[in-house]
Amino acid sequence: MDYVTMNILESTMVSICREMGIVLMKTSYSTIFNEALDFTCALADMNGDMIAVADFCPAQIGGMPLLIKSCLKEIPPSEMEEGDVILHNDPYRGGLHTPEHTFFKPIFVDGAIVGYAVAIGHIAEVGGMAPGGFSGEATEVFQEGLRVPPVKIKKRGQDNVEVWKLLLANVRTPRVNYGDLRALIAAVDLGEKQMRGVFAKYGAEVVRRNVQDLLLYSERRMRAELEAIPDGIFPFSDMIESDGIDAEKNYPIEVEVHKRGGEIVVDYTGSSPQAAGPINATLGVATSAAYNAVLHMTDPSIPRNSGCFRPIRVVAPPGTIVNVNFPAPEVGGNTETHPRLVGAILGAMAPVVPDRVMAAEGATHCNFVFGGVEAATGEFFACYDLEGVGWGGRSFADGNDAVDSINGNCRITPVEVYETRFPWRIESLAFNTDSGGAGRHRGGLGYTKQMLCLNDEIICSQMTDRHIFAPWGLDGGSEGGKGATLIQKAGRNGWQTVPEAFGKASTSRYSNISIKKGDRVRLVTPGGGGYGNPAERDPEALARDLREGYVSAEAARTHYGHEEGRG
Amino acid sequence: MKFSQNRFYIESYTKCANCGVLIYDDSPEDQASLVRHDGQVYCSQWCVDWKRARDARKSTPA
Repeated sequence: MDYVTMNILESTMVSICREMGIVLMKTSYSTIFNEALDFTCALADMNGDMIAVADFCPAQIGGMPLLIKSCLKEIPPSEMEEGDVILHNDPYRGGLHTPEHTFFKPIFVDGAIVGYAVAIGHIAEVGGMAPGGFSGEATEVFQEGLRVPPVKIKKRGQDNVEVWKLLLANVRTPRVNYGDLRALIAAVDLGEKQMRGVFAKYGAEVVRRNVQDLLLYSERRMRAELEAIPDGIFPFSDMIESDGIDAEKNYPIEVEVHKRGGEIVVDYTGSSPQAAGPINATLGVATSAAYNAVLHMTDPSIPRNSGCFRPIRVVAPPGTIVNVNFPAPEVGGNTETHPRLVGAILGAMAPVVPDRVMAAEGATHCNFVFGGVEAATGEFFACYDLEGVGWGGRSFADGNDAVDSINGNCRITPVEVYETRFPWRIESLAFNTDSGGAGRHRGGLGYTKQMLCLNDEIICSQMTDRHIFAPWGLDGGSEGGKGATLIQKAGRNGWQTVPEAFGKASTSRYSNISIKKGDRVRLVTPGGGGYGNPAERDPEALARDLREGYVSAEAARTHYGHEEGRG
Repeated sequence: MKFSQNRFYIESYTKCANCGVLIYDDSPEDQASLVRHDGQVYCSQWCVDWKRARDARKSTPA
């Protein structure tokens, strides 16, 4: 291997991916892109293997190899021409969930395909039964928005007008969608152009050889990491609450991690049959979750590409909550079930790599989505909004406060932007005291966002989690705080759950409630579980928690045995 | 996964009974590694062996 050239090429390609992401961020219309950064940009080789990626959304990073290979089975390279751009979002053929749109563009050098530029982004409005693309009550995929098989949205550099018209006729916000789709195309255009420059500078053979070496290098380093972990079969069980259809039913997740030598098999056999409601994960999600968990337990300096995924196998039985069959609903699988799968894998591995895992995190993106007609303009608006949660405590540190769940790596939209773009007033946004599970290292805190509706009507839906099952602690740490969604109707005192206010089945997954001007919505996000015995917490850290309001005096007494005036 | 004759739509989805990966009817690679065992379709012999080992382990008291 020529390590110098390989490293220079790797850094160059990662920089190109970052540059693609910046273009996408700066040219998109929706807050989910330009504020939350819910996208990923990558490069693939001619076989569809991911060769470089920027550090955006992990769910999409792990899902990308299967996505591209699935597309290539339907539109083979022999049917591609220079300037083509392919679009795809079908969850049953490699996709992650309906809102996740994958764009990729072949890179031609001397008339032959040498690779692909790829951008995957979460389109905020995709049609279907609920504005914002997240119906908490869907019972089939047709209610979740437009499903797009691999199609050419551009042919030889020209717009495929019929595809554009079909796409934009099926969503509530065609102007905004048009801008976001154009931004995704701009990203792959840039990636393709920059990579052609790389091929021109180094020559096709040098790039090809070094890319193959790079994949091999990542694979070797991943195998070495895995070899250092003790062999064995490590099981873990967890439980997911209501699917939005049946409030009383819960859905088990079963994971067995088989670690042998430099390989790992994640087997989800025994997990619940697929749910009637939209909490099912696709195969792409189950695969991505396994990759995500392994990347969290191993050296972060290993270059992220398909090479580091080679030692990982996934067993996701069809027709289950981890591998949904057509046409069952699936939109929540990518945001809610993915982090629970990662948590289960980390929980399974905790006995053997206690210093590389964390206690359970909030494991929800909160997914409060809404839409309506803006009084001033008469234009329909729609928003997919995600919120932060507390992460689990670790062997060496407290959990992070108020960050996006483990598979998102997204930013929280600033209050000022939120209020400017949408007819809500954010009345408060503050940490939830005591929501971080007690421990030697405390769980991170969730928060509460209280919003006042300023529009005549806003139609709201939600797909969240952790209203029933709290994030678990590790090694003697306590559970983190649960989440909640509460409504206060205009002119009334007191707060109601969504089932109380609107007769819905579930507090955490529901569709199309009508929020009127003057109504308030309160989103409470979960905290993270604690790590280690709370009695062993550093007294100075506990004193700081008390001083800054992270922990109440009562919780300090109850969970930490703290007596006022001491320590 | 089986397409209609004109390839405009999907007629049926076929997944490996063990690992759940989609098996394309018209993919030579998928068909070359496909294994039929006990009335079910598997993407590879690895999946047949894995399921057999798992079943044996589960039926053996710990």
